[in-house]
Amino acid sequence: MSQYKIIFTGPVGAGKTTAINAISDVPPIKTDAAASDMTKNRKASTTVAMDYGVMNLTGGEKIHLYGTPGQERFDFMWDILTVGGIGLILLIDNTRADPFQDMKFFLDAFGKFINDTSVAIGVTQMDLSCKPTIDDYHIQLQSFGLKPPVFAVDAREKNDVSLLVQALLYSLDPGLVG
Amino acid sequence: MMKKGANAPFRIALYGMDSRASKNMEMYLKGPCHGAAVVVGENEADIDLIDADYAKAKDILEARRTANPSRPIILMSLQQLQIDNTFFIKKPVTVTQMAEILAKIKASTASRQKIPDDEKPTTPLPKPATVKTVEQSSPKMPPKVAIDVYAKKATDVKHIDEQERQKTAKHQSAMQLNEGGFTAFLGTVSNIDFEDSAQLLTASYDPRQAYLGYVQSAYKTAKQQARVLQLNSIWKSLLIFPESQEIWLDADDKQLRAFAGITLNKGTASNMALTLANTALTVNRALDKFQDIDAFMWKLAIWTSKGRFPMGLDIQRPVFLKRWPNFTRLVITPDALRMAALLVEAPRTPLEVATVLNVKPQYVFVFISACHTLGLLGQIEPQETPVATPEQTTQAKTPKNKGLLSKILGKLRGA
Repeated sequence: MSQYKIIFTGPVGAGKTTAINAISDVPPIKTDAAASDMTKNRKASTTVAMDYGVMNLTGGEKIHLYGTPGQERFDFMWDILTVGGIGLILLIDNTRADPFQDMKFFLDAFGKFINDTSVAIGVTQMDLSCKPTIDDYHIQLQSFGLKPPVFAVDAREKNDVSLLVQALLYSLDPGLVG
Repeated sequence: MMKKGANAPFRIALYGMDSRASKNMEMYLKGPCHGAAVVVGENEADIDLIDADYAKAKDILEARRTANPSRPIILMSLQQLQIDNTFFIKKPVTVTQMAEILAKIKASTASRQKIPDDEKPTTPLPKPATVKTVEQSSPKMPPKVAIDVYAKKATDVKHIDEQERQKTAKHQSAMQLNEGGFTAFLGTVSNIDFEDSAQLLTASYDPRQAYLGYVQSAYKTAKQQARVLQLNSIWKSLLIFPESQEIWLDADDKQLRAFAGITLNKGTASNMALTLANTALTVNRALDKFQDIDAFMWKLAIWTSKGRFPMGLDIQRPVFLKRWPNFTRLVITPDALRMAALLVEAPRTPLEVATVLNVKPQYVFVFISACHTLGLLGQIEPQETPVATPEQTTQAKTPKNKGLLSKILGKLRGA
């Protein structure tokens, strides 16, 4: 049976682990470790390999949910991780100093994968920092020639994460019926 | 560049500055700013300029607002300030900053001097339910503009707004309606025969004869004037905060839905007025009653539409989405995500959307109404070459396993 997966990526602290946890049918396998570098300023522990969750589907099929490690030094893993990926969920932390720079970095890093599949962007922590706005993100995205879904997301809310993934799937095929 | 076109320069009164600083500012406006403004006494001024780093700047601000609430106020500070109904210049002052602020004030002043008449829809309609801008003439209204008490300091680390977190309605997750929920939520409208012009006519609605039209008009005015305004009606007062793109309303959704569905006649419309915000309402307002302006307008649009098509859009011409709506914070009508994906991809007529996705026209109409209200919808001009045909595949990129994707959707949607 083929291994289909959805990739969750984004900077440290954007909520990748939490988002996978929100929709996974099994407790996600986490590979967090105490943060000892620059990430320490943002969270006590961080994902050093990858997060993994599963959604069990009818007929015994599964969809695998992979979260990339947020630290750039693990970016060599990203190409391997995307093989067999259906699409990309990019989470951006709105409280970071320059969220647009973060978005650009990940859109560039996953450019080929996005071109082959699709991307949906979730902006987290908007309840702590409401600017930039969702409109601001769309304006920035014009320079990439992309019109992806961009939603405000609370990664703890299953409904938010679910809608983001649904939008990703409809971007691939609006004719899909769930 | 800095001049007010053919007009005289702005007359500015200075506050919180000693004689030396005042003289410097006077020379700065005359020299580097090419005489864009001249310094005058407070009684003759068009604009008040306050040095917000002065110890008693807050008192001065309040005093100036009380003395002349309609006069624009510029604050200068070393710290980044964000205070409602003021313009801000960060020190050190630059010519560019000064020019931009004066241009903003000029535009804002111009818009205040006339009732906006550019709110007309794209097709001829009855005269809009104009919202009057009432300044201090109304005896019922408070004599001064509300003062928003918080100020944000600029820091290297991004500011965390604790108040923002308490605005729970703004950050509430979306309500997703299925078909049954839709009917209960909006009421029923029978299927429409697109060949029957009589039915087509009854399937449309005029936003400007509903509360929606007044709110749209009021928000536009608040944005143009860059200040907090209050829409008064026979119902509850609505506060509009253009800077933060929020509204404040002391009513629940059930009450709002009921008022949204009412067609407003001339008598009702005459009770509508747009005024400066009531201080009593803006200070100590309950944070949980703030709503994001887009989420509010979206709801208002679907409750006004009830599955009907908005007048002002040509039903025969293809429409497209400029961008995806922020669905996680909106009420999601049936098949809205599918329609968004389709209309972001290529323009289609509403009928094509209904056919291609096999959805009811009411669902298409209500979605289009909501997107149109938020300015997310574009329409192809007749001479422009369209567009996707109904026969074209709806697939943006060939998915690897359509069956699997449908299963994932079913799982996510709780099927």
